[in-house]
Amino acid sequence: MPSAPVPAKLSLFTLTAPVAMGYVPLGMVFGFLFVQAGASWIMALLVSLVVYAGAAQYMMVPMVASGMPVGAIALATLLINMRHMFYGLSLLDTFPRGPLLRWYTAFALTDETYSVLSALPRDTPPRRMALLALLNQLWWLLGTLLGAAIGTRAHIPLDGLDFVLCALFAVLTVEQWRTRHSPLPLWTAIGSYTLAATFIPAHALVMAILMSLLVGVATYKNPASFGRPGGG
Amino acid sequence: MDNTYLLAVIVAMGAVTFGLRALPFLSAHWLRKSPITRHLGRFLPLAVMSLLLIHSASGAAREHATGPWPELLAIALTCALQWRSRNALLSIVAGTAVYVLLRNWQ
Repeated sequence: MPSAPVPAKLSLFTLTAPVAMGYVPLGMVFGFLFVQAGASWIMALLVSLVVYAGAAQYMMVPMVASGMPVGAIALATLLINMRHMFYGLSLLDTFPRGPLLRWYTAFALTDETYSVLSALPRDTPPRRMALLALLNQLWWLLGTLLGAAIGTRAHIPLDGLDFVLCALFAVLTVEQWRTRHSPLPLWTAIGSYTLAATFIPAHALVMAILMSLLVGVATYKNPASFGRPGGG
Repeated sequence: MDNTYLLAVIVAMGAVTFGLRALPFLSAHWLRKSPITRHLGRFLPLAVMSLLLIHSASGAAREHATGPWPELLAIALTCALQWRSRNALLSIVAGTAVYVLLRNWQ
């Protein structure tokens, strides 16, 4: 989401503070749930270090808990994170050139980091961009570690705490709805999930994602018809 | 939980995610020119997020016998708060708190 350009004078800490406000508690929830699902705190930390993608990490908790095949989890990750493919495009010209900074910053291009980086002035030093990305990941790791530490010590007897997953997905759905080009993806999701849950309940999510992908491809209009109003 | 399985999942998820984020730096030309990837880029995120929401909510509703009302109420509250405030943390905390209340003090 592009916001107003921020002055270059702002300290790195000031720039990442809003991200920290979200990443520390949400990372904690991931660490907590992952450990409560039966994983060790080292594994929780490793996920946040190697995968580093909020929605996909939340999604994986029930999936690994029920022992889903690696391929199915990878496919779900691909579809959930497909939006990240377009983040780098708008940053191509300002991105760090050095291989280490460049590939790390690309690796760390989450929704939140993208929104911070895309709001920076164009003459921001590449090192500063990479440092911002690194700080954001450190917040996420800190949250994960705290959550995992609580999760290994405490058993929370309240029913329904794992509803945070639903709430996170609701928030992300609202944000996608805000920038929608058409309501069709929502109806497609409802329709394909109803079908998949009725006929293939054991693999409802993956089958519904595949069906939605097919509808996405089927509703694509070739470039010859571009310019017509109301497309996709 | 089996650590070998977990490691395989972590490596697979990490590779897929990094691949997607790094793609523009490898083939920006293809991404920019291919209209179908642009179409899917607009279509899929909303579809996939809605699916994840429906899937996790129906999973939660199956864990108790009172019907899907706590889920529907809490999701409606979360969505309304997020729509108006754009404050993800507030929406998530409030929605979850209301859900926990509904489930424990019915």
